[in-house]
Amino acid sequence: MSVRQTNKSPKAHHRLGLGIPAALGGLLVVYFGLPFVTFLSQTGQTAILTELSTPGARTAIRNSLLTASVSTTVATGLGVPLAYVLARRSFRGKRLVEAVVVLPLIIPPVVGGAMLLTAVGRFSPIGAAFAAVGISLTDSLIGIVLAQTFVAAPFVIITARAGFGAIDERLEQASRSLGYGPLATWWNVSIPLARGAILAGMVLTFARAIGEFGATMMVAYNPRTMPTRIWVDFIAGGINAILPLSLVLLAVTLLILAAIQHVGRIPTVIQR
Amino acid sequence: MTLTVDSVSHWYGDEQAVTDVSFSVASGELVALLGPSGCGKTTLIQAIAGHIQPTSGRISLRGTDVTEQPPESRHIGLVFQQPTLYPQMTVAENVAYGLAGRGVDRAKRESVVADHLELVDLADQRDAVPAALSGGQQRRVELARAVAPAPDVLLLDEPLSALDRALRERLCDEIDRIHRETGVTTLFVTHDQREAMSLADRIVVLNEGRVSAIGTPRELYQSPPNQFVASFLGWSTPLAATVSDHEPLVVSLASHALTLASTTVSAPVGASVTCQFRPESLSVIPAETATADDGIGGTVTAVRDRGRHYDVTVGVETGETLAVEQTARPPAVGETVVVAIDPQAVTVFS
Repeated sequence: MSVRQTNKSPKAHHRLGLGIPAALGGLLVVYFGLPFVTFLSQTGQTAILTELSTPGARTAIRNSLLTASVSTTVATGLGVPLAYVLARRSFRGKRLVEAVVVLPLIIPPVVGGAMLLTAVGRFSPIGAAFAAVGISLTDSLIGIVLAQTFVAAPFVIITARAGFGAIDERLEQASRSLGYGPLATWWNVSIPLARGAILAGMVLTFARAIGEFGATMMVAYNPRTMPTRIWVDFIAGGINAILPLSLVLLAVTLLILAAIQHVGRIPTVIQR
Repeated sequence: MTLTVDSVSHWYGDEQAVTDVSFSVASGELVALLGPSGCGKTTLIQAIAGHIQPTSGRISLRGTDVTEQPPESRHIGLVFQQPTLYPQMTVAENVAYGLAGRGVDRAKRESVVADHLELVDLADQRDAVPAALSGGQQRRVELARAVAPAPDVLLLDEPLSALDRALRERLCDEIDRIHRETGVTTLFVTHDQREAMSLADRIVVLNEGRVSAIGTPRELYQSPPNQFVASFLGWSTPLAATVSDHEPLVVSLASHALTLASTTVSAPVGASVTCQFRPESLSVIPAETATADDGIGGTVTAVRDRGRHYDVTVGVETGETLAVEQTARPPAVGETVVVAIDPQAVTVFS
């Protein structure tokens, strides 16, 4: 009896101490949850599967999955090496490079898209050169990939950089002294040790790419991805018209969330 | 010479870490690179391994200048203070990694890995992941991994410093045994003079980035060439003295005249010199049973019971303190005593 009482009092005190932060935080959680509930409660009124089987919807889903995958691959293939260089070397102008990497995260996507148009649009030198050989950098799947990569690549760069930064450099030095060159060491030691962070970065990049709207709308309004089609449907038919595609996008996002928690490396990277 | 370091200097920005260091290690030798923290030992190891490019000087392995070569082209085994086993590989894969890196074929690799796990007595852990091993076992796997490719030189950078004392002593024996069994030329970096004394064929003493002395442990301990070596290798304490006669040499410490028959110095009568006293060559006698000739008077300021002996600190007449190591039960703190001196064990620096 006495044991139970001594156990109880600090616990009660503990709960009291967290009351105010819990109440404030709870308010935010309710605010996050509420739109999901109200939005999903509309679903009963729409024939979702019928709607999703229309050619337009299917094309949008296919385009989104395809372009987000390509964007993630490009961002990873170029971003992970950059992340490694940023984690391991100091050089003149490094701060500038770091700023350039973060820039797409902080400028509004729609402005980013407009800037991209000036760089690769049909009347820009680059756009014109590609157009001359029959490749359109705007209003094409390539255009979508360009917009998504611009906006989403920073995630994999920043996360992978933190992952590489957390590796003790001596593990790489040991590999060099065991007879491996810099590239082989990178592949055998650095990449496997930063794997969790790289995967987490890829997942975040994919999530950002598949939901990309602002920049995509500017660079490639056509062909439609899920977000651009949702916008078009919303203008034409209101909330009910966009429910099916929104649900697909939500489902993909939830899968991504599950993947992140499964990979489980994001908290450690941030803690470091 | 298997390893030759020739006039190596290194700057980090404006700060000079290593200044004009030269020494060499003969085939099969175990040389300790000894010095206090921050004396440039790690910089030197990094330069020898090729992970930093020294600002000036040359490094040669088996007569070939390797100063410009990357680490992977030098045949060097490296063990750091912190564990560097690859967590995603098993114990056997870790040891095999360096063999694959040197182009040893798969069939040969198997047997070399087995031999080296046997060498460090971890054959039963070959399929374990490093995280499942104890700190001491991890060290031994690292030793096996570094030695397996039969490097020209094995560099051990404070390999025992992160371990607790009992483990440190056991691994010290282990390193000694591995060195004897493989005959690998070894450069052992440490700040612990006892590790260096007990393991090394020769010791290179480093102080503030410069070589302070090179010699066998005995030589350096018994006749230290300078004050730094005397105090760092023998824990000896210095006292200021004045030369009062030659042949035999007599120095005065406050009111006490100390005759050092077996020592000579070039300093003239009246010159100031420094005498280094090793703790084990001193003993403390209660003042009432001592005569004036027995030694230098003082007051006990601290007593530490070390189990096998006592460390006694005595504030002596000159105003300085002497460290005394003795097995007999020492006087209490505050008692007046005489510190008896063995003249054979005093080193004089002018």
